[in-house]
Amino acid sequence: MSSAQIEIQLIASIVAVACAIPGTFLVLRKMAMISDAISHSILPGIVVGFFITQDLNSPLLILLAALTGIITVVLVEYIQKTGLVKEDTAIGLVFPALFSIGVILIAKNANDVHLDVDAVLLGELAFAPFDRLLTGGTDVGPKSLWVVGSILIVTVTLLILFFKELKVSTFDKGLAASLGFSPAIIHYGLMSISSVTTVGAFDAVGAILVVALMIAPAAAAYLLTTDLKKMLALAIIFGIFSAVFGYWVAHWLDASIAGSITTVLGLVFLLVYLFAPSKGIIAVMYRERQQQTEVSLLTFLLHLKNHDELEERHVNHLNEHINWQKVRAKTVLDLAQKNNMITIEKNIVSLTKKGNEFTSKAINYIMTNEDTQIEDMKDDFFLFRG
Amino acid sequence: MDITEYIKLVFTDYTLRTITLGTAILGAVTGMLGSFAVLRKQSLLGDAISHAALPGIAIAFLITGAKDTNTLLIGALISGLIGTFWIRGIVTKTHLKSDTALGLILSLFFGFGMLLLTFIQKQPNANQAGLDKYLFGQAATLVESDVWLMAIVTGICLIVMLTFWKEFKILLFDADYTKTLGFNTKFIDILITSFIVLAIVLGLQTVGVVLMSAMLLAPAAAARQWTNSLSIMVFLAAIFGAFSGVFGTAISASQNNLSTGPVIVLVAAVFVAFSFIFSPSRGLLFKQIRFIKNRRDLELHKTLAFMHHIAETHEDISHPHTIKLLNNFQGYTKSTLQKLVEKDYVKLNGNMWSLTKTGFETAENLYTKQTTEDE
Repeated sequence: MSSAQIEIQLIASIVAVACAIPGTFLVLRKMAMISDAISHSILPGIVVGFFITQDLNSPLLILLAALTGIITVVLVEYIQKTGLVKEDTAIGLVFPALFSIGVILIAKNANDVHLDVDAVLLGELAFAPFDRLLTGGTDVGPKSLWVVGSILIVTVTLLILFFKELKVSTFDKGLAASLGFSPAIIHYGLMSISSVTTVGAFDAVGAILVVALMIAPAAAAYLLTTDLKKMLALAIIFGIFSAVFGYWVAHWLDASIAGSITTVLGLVFLLVYLFAPSKGIIAVMYRERQQQTEVSLLTFLLHLKNHDELEERHVNHLNEHINWQKVRAKTVLDLAQKNNMITIEKNIVSLTKKGNEFTSKAINYIMTNEDTQIEDMKDDFFLFRG
Repeated sequence: MDITEYIKLVFTDYTLRTITLGTAILGAVTGMLGSFAVLRKQSLLGDAISHAALPGIAIAFLITGAKDTNTLLIGALISGLIGTFWIRGIVTKTHLKSDTALGLILSLFFGFGMLLLTFIQKQPNANQAGLDKYLFGQAATLVESDVWLMAIVTGICLIVMLTFWKEFKILLFDADYTKTLGFNTKFIDILITSFIVLAIVLGLQTVGVVLMSAMLLAPAAAARQWTNSLSIMVFLAAIFGAFSGVFGTAISASQNNLSTGPVIVLVAAVFVAFSFIFSPSRGLLFKQIRFIKNRRDLELHKTLAFMHHIAETHEDISHPHTIKLLNNFQGYTKSTLQKLVEKDYVKLNGNMWSLTKTGFETAENLYTKQTTEDE
């Protein structure tokens, strides 16, 4: 590994961490799309900043662009407050307009600006190590490493200082306000950090990857845990893993680094989405099937309990009466038998003592509108689940 | 170049005519379908889908090796649909919210598309140049066959929309009721969503991935301000969309270095801003005027109630009092007093005022109304 390669991976990892932290809170606060809006609407800020400073890494440019990001948030909130359109429409109206202004500004001054819309949106990490920061003639590393590094330090410091406030205001705005934390300050603080991170990172990885790095690790982590600290840690781990692994994929395919980091992020999310222990899609579908069978079982037991007549409990009649498919009927019957809730004698189905007790309790809960209790009760009665 | 000259040019110049027609048709169809997206609270779906279409374009190119617009659009359509249904899967099956799902699909698909595009660029295939025009759109590359394609798709959209108008409308406003009526809500839902995806994919070539969402939203959001009727809204949105296309093309054609897509979006944004401010029933301007008017009415009533309070203490209700008495009362101004005189509630006589009979009765009723409301 050459030093340039190490530097690229280092920059990518730092960006990943710097994005994962505000991203986690954005996902939890249901504001993920704001990051997309900010990442597009900083374009006019960057262009104007570039006209003034002629340097993509200048702090003034980052400040100007971050200001545009905050203006976006304020505009979105203003439009929302008028009640003329819904929040998501407000987002969708503001950022394309600002982005258009940016594109036109670039196009009108194409001859004297070395700035390209592609570069802003997509970034090129491969060139990051060549833009060195020199202090007093000595080379102290790539410029963008310093930029994203300082953003990360600020973000982490703010996170540690205001962790409690962020946590409370994210999960319970009312409580936060009554405890004396201003939700507005925390909200705009988070928005400012997101803007600054987006601006600082776009040069290295591009605006779209910033969105991916903010949302994807946090979303994947949210499927695995409901503990805020664990979620933050998981999001950071996913981010760093994708950054490093994505770099090597890009190296191998000879393609865009930003693109392959995003692709790896996508794969990580896909895996978590499919296989997360209790919230993954497979687990959810399995649980839905299980619950479906168990509800059918309960319906079946209730029917048995309501009818003492032999002909109502005859297997053939039950087939017609409940009108289940053959396979499903068999699953339900098997489950009931395995759990010792029914016995079948000469094609007549009858409840056992245990089945009777279970059904009576279930009826009680249903009559008193405490359906949720049935789930807990199932643990006591079922040896085998559906 | 003055306007008549430009209009003449639109009819004679092939490129300009194609672009103007193309953007107008595109604006109309996106405005039409965008109305449904906005009302279904799927405003940002357009943004997500347009980004999600990128890998489809790249894969279609990788498979066929040719830059045929139609095959690329089919690729875009397929990957847009996959993105849409994945978003739906995430929202319904997990506890992630729709904004997270949209952001995820948007950025992940787009990133994957970029990976494929850069991969294609390294391939020894001379054909690959110009694929990235789908990123930002280039209306200038529109040819007549593209416009025909747009016109045909718009026609199909229109026919389907008119056929299923009742179903679309009822699903929009009361999904549960639709289900109880026995309509296949899933089918209608998929139909609307597919057409929205189709409209977005059509627009990619003209305005590009990033700005497509605005084309879908802006005309619909503007139209929403002028009416509460769905059919009028869809019609207005189509008109706004078409005009954004025509004006945008005109403005960008009249100057150098002005790409069409962003200008169209800005024109649409102007439509939105205008509608937000000047719409008679919902607009900010008239809302402010109504607000001021209400406040004046309230002040008038307050003054009247205060006068009534004073007049009550006298046996003769029309007993004159000095105007100075009112000076330490907040709601009092010269103009409110003048208005009360106009309404014949109060009589002025030099520096003295007195309540008339009607004034006293109105004030009394005002008073009782307030007390009953308080209780």
